[in-house]
Amino acid sequence: MDFFSFGNIIVYIDKFIKFINSIFFVILIIGISFALIISPVDYLQGDSVRIMYVHVPSAWIGLSIFSLIAISTILNFIFKIKNLFLFIKSLAPIGLLFTCLSIVTGSLWGKPTWGTWWAWDARLTSMLVLMLFYVLFIFSLKYFKNNENLTKILSILSILGIINIPIIKYSVEWWSTLHQPASIKFLGSSSIHPSMLFPLFLMLLVLLLYCALIFLMKYKTEIIKIKKQNIKRL
Amino acid sequence: MIIEFLKMGGYGFYVWSSFLIVFTFCSLLFYKTRKTLKKYEKEFAMELEKLPAKQKKRITKSSKVVSNILASQNKLS
Repeated sequence: MDFFSFGNIIVYIDKFIKFINSIFFVILIIGISFALIISPVDYLQGDSVRIMYVHVPSAWIGLSIFSLIAISTILNFIFKIKNLFLFIKSLAPIGLLFTCLSIVTGSLWGKPTWGTWWAWDARLTSMLVLMLFYVLFIFSLKYFKNNENLTKILSILSILGIINIPIIKYSVEWWSTLHQPASIKFLGSSSIHPSMLFPLFLMLLVLLLYCALIFLMKYKTEIIKIKKQNIKRL
Repeated sequence: MIIEFLKMGGYGFYVWSSFLIVFTFCSLLFYKTRKTLKKYEKEFAMELEKLPAKQKKRITKSSKVVSNILASQNKLS
């Protein structure tokens, strides 16, 4: 278990940060070039389809991070693993940022496509609910100092929030919505052309590297905070 | 040609705003996170300086976290 000691973790964090820094800008430039220049124009939506390259990865990241947080919170409640708590604390702000970005970019895509910035349809409303769960999560992390109460509150939020995840995913199939059904299926054939799929995954990679970078810096900050409190006992 | 590219077939405002918002907010979170990390590293190093020389030497030798923080502080200075 020495491998998971803060001393070892902090060494690996630095190595990962250096690695991400060394490749990030190259992948970012390639990703943006594909998203804004090389990828083709959609026959129906024209150039507005390029918003997809930031909107869709943001939404995927927002959903994935909440699922990770919720599972970790429940595991933390059962097994009381200290590192999982730091993991949750470091991930939550990143999830909130990408959920907000997916809502805002979705709105910017909605105006030229549907003729409106916002509609209270199932997909949009369930994403807004996800954002509220993130806000409650971060608020609880900030203002509840009692660890036992905090774990209980976070577990309740996780259980309630995780119910919303399949609602977001299947809302476009269960209800009649303005939002289009999923074009990309991980199990089955996608209805999106590879010339658009490649830039989409490239931009997803860029944003995932960014998330990893922020997560590692936040995790390192949390370790330093703990070590600072116990500096005399080191 | 550049004007055409910026216009994005009439959707320029929506496309550029989307990308600009994403990169602005990502940059803001990056700088805020980095600033907080540096602040805590600095505070930690200052706390360490307050310790007696013998204890400081022992901690620096035995703790990977401490030596890592001191190394990044030395790089900055």
